[in-house]
Amino acid sequence: MERDDELIEVNRLTYAYPSSRKQVLQGLDFHIGKGEIFGFLGPSGAGKSTTQNVLIGKLRRYGGSVRVFGREIRSVGSDYYERIGVAFEFPHFYSRFTALENLNHFRSLYRCRTADPMQLLEQVGLREAAHMKVEQFSKGMKMRLNYCRSVLNDPDLLFLDEPTSGLDPTHADMLKRLILARRASGTTVLLTTHNMQVAEQLCDRVAFIADGEIKLIDTPRNLKLRGGERKVRVEYEQGNKRLTEDFQLEGIGANERFLSLIRSHRIVTMHTLEASLEDIFMTAAGRKLV
Amino acid sequence: MKTWKLFIFDMRFQWKQRFYVVYLFVCSVYVGILHAIPDSRLGKVLVLLTFSDPSALGLLLAGGIVLLERGQGIWNSLFATPVKLWEYLLAKCLSLSLLSLAAAFAIHLPVSGWPVSPLYFTLGIVLTSFFFTLIGIAAALGSHSINGFLIRSQAYALVFVLPVLGYLNVFDTPLYMLFPSQGSLLLLSGSVHLLSHEDGGYAIAVLVVWIGIVGSLAMRLLSATVRNTDGGRRHEQI
Repeated sequence: MERDDELIEVNRLTYAYPSSRKQVLQGLDFHIGKGEIFGFLGPSGAGKSTTQNVLIGKLRRYGGSVRVFGREIRSVGSDYYERIGVAFEFPHFYSRFTALENLNHFRSLYRCRTADPMQLLEQVGLREAAHMKVEQFSKGMKMRLNYCRSVLNDPDLLFLDEPTSGLDPTHADMLKRLILARRASGTTVLLTTHNMQVAEQLCDRVAFIADGEIKLIDTPRNLKLRGGERKVRVEYEQGNKRLTEDFQLEGIGANERFLSLIRSHRIVTMHTLEASLEDIFMTAAGRKLV
Repeated sequence: MKTWKLFIFDMRFQWKQRFYVVYLFVCSVYVGILHAIPDSRLGKVLVLLTFSDPSALGLLLAGGIVLLERGQGIWNSLFATPVKLWEYLLAKCLSLSLLSLAAAFAIHLPVSGWPVSPLYFTLGIVLTSFFFTLIGIAAALGSHSINGFLIRSQAYALVFVLPVLGYLNVFDTPLYMLFPSQGSLLLLSGSVHLLSHEDGGYAIAVLVVWIGIVGSLAMRLLSATVRNTDGGRRHEQI
């Protein structure tokens, strides 16, 4: 059953490359709503990129059903690409052309209204490099240019594969703000990443993929609460020693030991013990995100 | 319109890759050599030279461009835009046929002047260039390396140059009429003598039919590579 607010509906998606008998995707089910930032998390080889390639219409011989904008993806035509933007993990360009020439070329391939490349370059701090050949760009500059290319057509649906890879913290932060601004203007974003921090900061919901299956799917907050302990850990000073003590959150306001501790000692840190996304993934998939 | 933009960009790409400079040098060498050939043989040599180089330059250049673009990872992004596969192929054919045309006239004008049948000669260059460009792209799509491409493209081309044996009176057979290169040789000979409309019509028809056949093969291979219509076999090579 299709719901009006859902942009992507995936049911029992399976996929196997012909060179391998193994099914890379083993019956994925997920729905993504309009204006949502949805994160795909998982280790290399888990099936994240294959899922993205199915969704962008590059792998069309899949099993199950994949509907985007209400249309089965295996039968979409070139007009589909007027409405989506894709930033692949590896930012490749025509290296002997300048950044602006590259963007102008890609821009000319759309029928729909497109953004001004100079404004996009300005947004990502590349205005001064607009007339530099891409072969002179660093990896970080190419990643920012990659983002510009993906939003040239002001897409309704934006696919970003490891968008902050190779970026310094300042530029990573800038890009995150741009992605959040896109969501605020109604763009749906599908983000594929290893980076738990990026997922936590940006995503409304995340799906953990491992071995071609979705192991968990929920909001980062719910996952962390569900996977954590309902306790608070207090680190305090006693004489010249640092000590820690955990307290149950239930009834903490009436917990005499807790109240006396925070009154009588110098508190160094105090944190609730919700799980990190990394911990949750390791529990669900039985391995690290590498 | 999109084909036009791709065509202009392809020409700029070829300019930046110095294809035009290289061809200017190659053409000057050819002109020097052709001036040393006696007039009695000049016509035949000129037709063969035009057939083997300017017209067929697409074979190697188109394959080289395809391997370069694929190697540089451009296709992922290019085919995530509304570009249609036929637009991509047509732009390659148009840009390389323009280079072929420029090279052919650069050789002919200083050596033998204006062609006797300029329309047939021009069509001969353009259609032959289209045909060999598509062969080059098909060969590149089926290859993983430059060496593989060179072997494959020469193997493909070898079959189609058999009518040259007839043109040189080495071995003749009416079967040559089925080959696109028979049409090419006829049209290109319009540079040195008048061509009847029957011959011209046949030559254009055989080339157009073969361009259709090789074009659909190149489309199928490209589609299998970038749109995964073969189930992903070629997609893994991007």
